[in-house]
Amino acid sequence: MSEIGRLAILMAFLCAVWSVGSIAWGLRAGLAGPLRSGRNALWAVCGLTLVAVIILVRALMAHDFTYRYVAEHTSLDLAPLYSAASLWAGQEGSLLLWLLILSTYGAAFLWLYRKRLDPFYDAVAMVVASVAIFFTYLLAFICSPFRILANPPADGQGLNPLLQDPGMMIHPPILYTGYVGFIIPFAFGIAVLLMNRTGTRWIEEVRRWTLFSWMFLGFGILLGARWAYIELGWGGYWGWDPVENASLMPWLVGTAFLHSVMIEQRRGMLKTWNVALIVLTFELSIFGTFLTRSGVLTSVHSFAESSIGAWFMAFIIGSGTLATALILYRKALLESENRLDAIVSREGSFLFNNVLFVALTFATFLGTTFPVLSEAVTGSKISVSAPFFNRVNVPIGLALLLLTGAGPILSWKRATASVLQRNFIIPTVAGLVATLLSLPLGVRGIYPIVTVFGSAFVLATVVMEFARGLQARKDVAASRGAMAIIDLVTKNKRRYGGYIIHVGVVMIFVGVLGSTVFQKEAHEPLRTGQSMKIGDYTLTLKGTEQKMERSAALTRAVVDVSQNGKSFGESRPSKAMYFKSQQPMTEVALHQTPGEDLYLILGGVNDDGTVTLQAYINPLVSLIWAGGLVMLFGTIFTLSDRMRLRREEKEAA
Amino acid sequence: MTASPSVRRAVLVLLAAAALALPSAARANESAAGTKVDPGRAITSQLICPCSCGEVLSGCTCETGISLKGYVDRELKAGKDRKAIEASLVAKYGEVILGAPKAKGFNLVVWVAPFVATLLGFGIATIILSRWVRRKNALAFAPAGAAADTHPDSDPALAERRARAEAELRELKE
Repeated sequence: MSEIGRLAILMAFLCAVWSVGSIAWGLRAGLAGPLRSGRNALWAVCGLTLVAVIILVRALMAHDFTYRYVAEHTSLDLAPLYSAASLWAGQEGSLLLWLLILSTYGAAFLWLYRKRLDPFYDAVAMVVASVAIFFTYLLAFICSPFRILANPPADGQGLNPLLQDPGMMIHPPILYTGYVGFIIPFAFGIAVLLMNRTGTRWIEEVRRWTLFSWMFLGFGILLGARWAYIELGWGGYWGWDPVENASLMPWLVGTAFLHSVMIEQRRGMLKTWNVALIVLTFELSIFGTFLTRSGVLTSVHSFAESSIGAWFMAFIIGSGTLATALILYRKALLESENRLDAIVSREGSFLFNNVLFVALTFATFLGTTFPVLSEAVTGSKISVSAPFFNRVNVPIGLALLLLTGAGPILSWKRATASVLQRNFIIPTVAGLVATLLSLPLGVRGIYPIVTVFGSAFVLATVVMEFARGLQARKDVAASRGAMAIIDLVTKNKRRYGGYIIHVGVVMIFVGVLGSTVFQKEAHEPLRTGQSMKIGDYTLTLKGTEQKMERSAALTRAVVDVSQNGKSFGESRPSKAMYFKSQQPMTEVALHQTPGEDLYLILGGVNDDGTVTLQAYINPLVSLIWAGGLVMLFGTIFTLSDRMRLRREEKEAA
Repeated sequence: MTASPSVRRAVLVLLAAAALALPSAARANESAAGTKVDPGRAITSQLICPCSCGEVLSGCTCETGISLKGYVDRELKAGKDRKAIEASLVAKYGEVILGAPKAKGFNLVVWVAPFVATLLGFGIATIILSRWVRRKNALAFAPAGAAADTHPDSDPALAERRARAEAELRELKE
């Protein structure tokens, strides 16, 4: 079967090459036949990749250790679902998943635009196929997942214990769906330049594709944070780890694009900037894969050890240079109307918002890659971790929060003094009142105060916008109460979906504020029967227990938890020692309430027989997860506008 | 006509304020951010576990991390201050144990560049916006019709109809 898998990838590579060549010929000669052939070849890439994936997953689930990839990432004691999920546990499998999602996007694009006769859409398919060439080439010739071992072992090395979590079953595919999805906006942008296409219709198409990918990437990041919180056992959810940063960067630039694209749609401005943002978002998606897969961040020297790092670097430089050259070559095409009544306007606020998003991306990029740069220049190793990002990114993020509130209440073209006064007075008062109310609760320092002020400011602007919309609807329609709200938001899903997303952002900011500023921590070595206190909670060690599981030996601390004398029952934070990897893993015991989480970690059983118990109280952390879901809902709501449009188009037809 | 002097002054004041505020905000440490952190955590939250786990020391649960947290607590109880404890750890493990590099020499770049880039971005955005305002004002005094968009492709519906007709013609040629 491995030969079939290898052949499928090789044929996918040839089909991708054919697709690009055929479409390029068709476009140049103005012939429909080659265009059709090129589109069919892209369909074939998707089908052949699916065959390869099925073969590999089958081998993983059957523990066929003749495959090197299977021997390296599974073992006989691994549960079937985790065996299947090992597809994305290693470099080769991850790249295969990348290619599957990429070619599925290509196929979905062909299906959705099958009735459009415009050759512009063939050019978009050609760009997708060009990227598929790169990935099929890597999988066919550089790092094939179908390599066979001459002497297969009796058992495999097993899956990294960190990945043996239900969250890992869905987190990587969702994240990849987001990452890879930026290929379509990128392909649209390049096709516009290649085909010398003007008009604004394509930008609306791109906005929807970007929003779709942005939603998946954001949700993937949220799932990753949740996984880190539960699985890594350090009391937090975001550690500014290079892998986390790699996913954040395209999301930030994508967010900048989703804002600036509104200016192009409404005012025909920022055309060059928008194409540049699309290109940058895609390049950062590839860069993220490069960061996580090349090993470059461990050390400069590991770069040379990686089999694909140099290939990725070459692809990023090559595609980035080509895209930049095309943008410069088609400069005249991207010339905008570029007329504005006043700097203080919604356009102005969106431009500053874009500057902050790009600056945040730059700071994250620089901090993530700086250890390598510094080692190369100075020869000594340094760390650039959470303490750096908290100092540099937090102020930029807070400035963004303030602009999140200001943008929607500034008028397009020009915000006059009377408009400013009318729109800003309520949110500013709300911000000040919230700040004053937060002071007795213990909020101190510039960052927390700006967070409280900014959050209240943004919420007030959203409420105000809803109230004004309702008033306007009441003037023209007879609907009242809940019906009026439903009527209002469904009539302009794009605008109100955006406001819902802003509410989610505020919830996340408040959750981060609560869980960092008001976090409590205690750690103590306890003997059986002894207690420790954290906040209102009393934790009493009742003993320890051992348990053998399929792939690990568990040591558990049995802890009685009570709050103000009221017992919550027993918690069992544990340490698992995995047989295969001999890696100790922390299993957190979590008491979750809407207000706060009690987070218990077993530090270890000491030589003197005591048990070190580490406890955190993380207030408002549930707001982060809820805020993420609100953002997800807001995005789906915004996207559903397209569904309505399609239905109306169909009905009209 | 250019942007009014008052607007330009206001923008300049804002930029200057941002230039002053951002680096000082960056220097703000955790205690200034409002937390009443315990002294041990104030130190360990700024350090990286020197084993291969790469976690921030305050949250690290590996053996090396737990042992180092104990070391920091003991040194604090012995009366040593933050600087002395950090210096002893840097002497033993190197600068790689610091969660953020010291702002000196080449490493100053990582601290300064994000804020310089942000201010530069604000400056460029302000200049671009001012130009757009000037252009608008200039067009307001131009002869009637000069500002109209006369590009034949500016109507997306027309452009699409034309593309469709071209594609159909190609099909007919085959």
